[in-house]
Order: sequence, then C-alpha cells, then structure tokens
Amino acid sequence: MPESAEHITCQEVVELVTGYLEAALPADEMALFEQHLNFCEGCVWYVDQMRTTIATVGRISEEDVPVETRERLLMAFRGWKQS
Amino acid sequence: MEAVVIAYKFMRLDGTSVFTGFGWPLPNGRPGAWVDARIDPCRSGIHACRPSDLPLWVGRTLYEVELDGEIVEQPTKVVASRGRLLRRVEAWDDALRDAYTRMCADRAHELALGANPPLAAWDAVVEPSIPEGPALLGFVAARIAEEISGTGAYHRERAGQTEWLVERLGLRTEG
Amino acid sequence: MSRAGIDNRTAAVSSKEADLLARLRDGDEKAFESLVDRFHGTMLAVARTYVKTRPVAEDVVQDAWLGVLNGLDGFEGRSSLKTWILRILVNTAMTRGVREARSVPFSSFAADEEEGPAVDPERFRGRGDAFSGHWNGYPNDWSSLPEETLLGRETLAVVKRAIDELPAMQQRVITLRDIEGSSAEEACGALDLSSGNQRVLLHRARSHVRAALERHLDA
Repeated sequence: MPESAEHITCQEVVELVTGYLEAALPADEMALFEQHLNFCEGCVWYVDQMRTTIATVGRISEEDVPVETRERLLMAFRGWKQS
Repeated sequence: MEAVVIAYKFMRLDGTSVFTGFGWPLPNGRPGAWVDARIDPCRSGIHACRPSDLPLWVGRTLYEVELDGEIVEQPTKVVASRGRLLRRVEAWDDALRDAYTRMCADRAHELALGANPPLAAWDAVVEPSIPEGPALLGFVAARIAEEISGTGAYHRERAGQTEWLVERLGLRTEG
Repeated sequence: MSRAGIDNRTAAVSSKEADLLARLRDGDEKAFESLVDRFHGTMLAVARTYVKTRPVAEDVVQDAWLGVLNGLDGFEGRSSLKTWILRILVNTAMTRGVREARSVPFSSFAADEEEGPAVDPERFRGRGDAFSGHWNGYPNDWSSLPEETLLGRETLAVVKRAIDELPAMQQRVITLRDIEGSSAEEACGALDLSSGNQRVLLHRARSHVRAALERHLDA
C-alpha cells in the first residue's frame, strides 16, 4: 500500500506494476502510478522492461506432440467413439 | 444548450497520448475530429486535466480539449466518453517549459534551505534533476514542501504551480 | 466449489468451442487432433510442476486426455472447454504428485511462497535519505537495444531457465498466463486460485524472470 496518499515511490511502482498492467489497481492507485511515470524516466523504463519480459516469455513455444503420443491418443479417441 | 466543457491535455510531441500511445486527430486551424470512448474510470475513456491537475501531468505539448457525453470528475483528472482537440496551446513551448522547470527548482531551493534545520540532502537533489524536466522538478518542489509542512503544503505548492501555468498560458480558469 | 467459483467471466463455452464440442462428440478426428495440438504442450509444462520426472509428466498428460474423453459427453459447459481440460490435467497431476511425494524429499521443490521484493532494495535510496524509495540509478532503457538481442535464442534460453527455477505455483501461473495466453479468469479457474492470489503469483514470477533477463542483457 502506498505510504503517502499524494505520491508513490519507485520501490512501490515495481511492486504495483503487475496490477497496473492487468488494469486491476484501484482507481486512486492507478492515478498515482501514472502520475509517477509522468515524471520518472527510470520507472517508465522499468515498466517497459516488464512488457518486454512478458513478450519474450510469450515467444516460448510449447512442445510439439510426439508422433507416438499422437497415435496413442488417436487410438484412444477411436476407442471412445465406438463406446 | 449545455455549456461546453473545456479541459486540457498534455501529449507527446507527435500528438499521441502519453500512456496509451493513442493517435489523436490533431487540430489544424480547426478542431480535430471527435473521439468516442467507453468510460471505465482509470481504465478507459478520454482523460483530461482541469487547470488544478496540470502540474501533475506536465508533458511535452499541451492542447485545449472539448469534452462531451458522460463526464466523470476524479480527484486528479476528468474522464469523458467524448472529446476533441480544439487547439494547441502554443504558449507551452520549450522556453516556457524551461522557465517552469527553473521556477520549480528555485522554489525547491527556497523551501529546502529555508527549513530549520535546512534540508541539505533534498537541496542537493534539485540541480541534478533539472535535465529530467518540468514534471520532476514540480514534484520535487511539492515533495519538499510536504516534507517540511505536510500534505496541505504539498497541495499548496501544487496550487502555486497551477497559478503560474494558468497565468502564462492564458488558460480559461474554473468558474 | 472452488474459490474461482462459477464466474461469468470464466466464460462458459463460446460459440467456437460449442462447434468444436459438437464435432468432437461426433467423432471428428481432425477436431480431436487440433485440440491435442493446442493444449498438449501446456499440459505437459504444467504437469511437470507437479511430478518428479518427465516420463511421469507424460503419463499424467496421457491420463488427463483419457479423463477428457470420458467426461466429454457429460461436459455441461459451465466453464470454458479450455478451463475444464486444464482442470482435469491439474487434478490428475496433483493426485500423482501427492502419491509421489511420499517418496520425494522436501528439498526437491522450492517453497511456493517465495517472499521477497520484486527488486533488490539496494537499488533504491534508503529510508531517511532525500527521495527515499526512488531509484539509486535508473534501470536501462531496453528500447535502445538492437532487436536481434531481444529476439535471439540466447535471450529465450535465459527466460526459459528463469521460469524453470520458479516455485511450482508461480511456474504454473506464468505458463498459463504468458506462455499459453490464458486470461486471469481462465488461470484462476484451471488452478483454483482467487484472483488476488493469481496476481501475486504472476507478479513474483514475472519479477524473477525480468531480473534474470536484466542480468543477461546488462552484462
């Protein structure tokens, strides 16, 4: 929770960033967060780093289904179909 | 006929919104086109400043904006479902930005060194902050005021910043 | 009833899913294959956070798919198809994980509740300093990095490793949210988490990965 009602610190920003990106902060914290970004280049870069991190994680592609697994599952599906 | 609601909006140099990057239809001798948005305070909607909000949102360029539709007043901004940019406030240029930065820096020094005992550490932060611009210096000055005399002083300092801006920018003030 | 509850936002079956459901019940093999393709990798990644080894995880996923087939006719669509499938996977994995835990030393899994700030407090000015709580030195501007650096294989490897290091629940949340692309509501539904808990876990996970990326990029 912010220590002051008028402003938040960079240390608070790095804890609130996920809530901010999820648009899940209460309205007053949202406003304080953006007011802070408005004057703090360091935190603008931090939030940008977080966005880049999320985008990079998003580039991880899940494994493809191995052929044997696919065949086994298809057989199971055919078996299920029949019952 | 309803009164026209006038507010202000700081934007990036290229006319895009500071936080969303939204590209506003810019005025060019005539008002820009109307923009509609769904209101969800602090999440979506047209965000704008009353004069008293200006110091909190100081940015590169300043526009006068007309608001319409559903208008919600929040503690530090106004959110509307409809808005259009009327004109750029030309007076807010680099020279005035620098003058405002200097004014806030001088106030910060005055407050820090006038305190008993003087806030040497805060005073030392002022000059190095200058390259980062008016928004930071405005905050530093208000923050120092708050450090010395509390929340009321923070708001009074901000009010002083608003007064300075309104006067030099020739803005329409609240009724 | 789970804490996530039957939430409107968990999105009951969409029309696209209703289509898929009909085709599956009809015995459409292509439909089933596309379902498997879509979720198998995520299911494996999540299963992996519940059990000791990869072969066991593959087993769990296989069992989960059988569970999906067994339940398909009775599926009422109160949650989305995706949430339902992931929930079966989680339940199957949890059961197996519990069975395994009887022979697994505690030290195998990092504590789920990893307390700790998102950023080392040393990076900020201390209490009692002027400007306390503000950056001591700003983090770097990554937008000025060459694209190839951020898009490279090495960077991806750093990120993967950072995720593998995470406590189990954090790993599950970031896998569903940021790799698979689930919404917050879907992740809560699949993992039986309150939205607040989900957000805290996501926050810790992302903070850890960002820090790892920063160490790599700033080196």
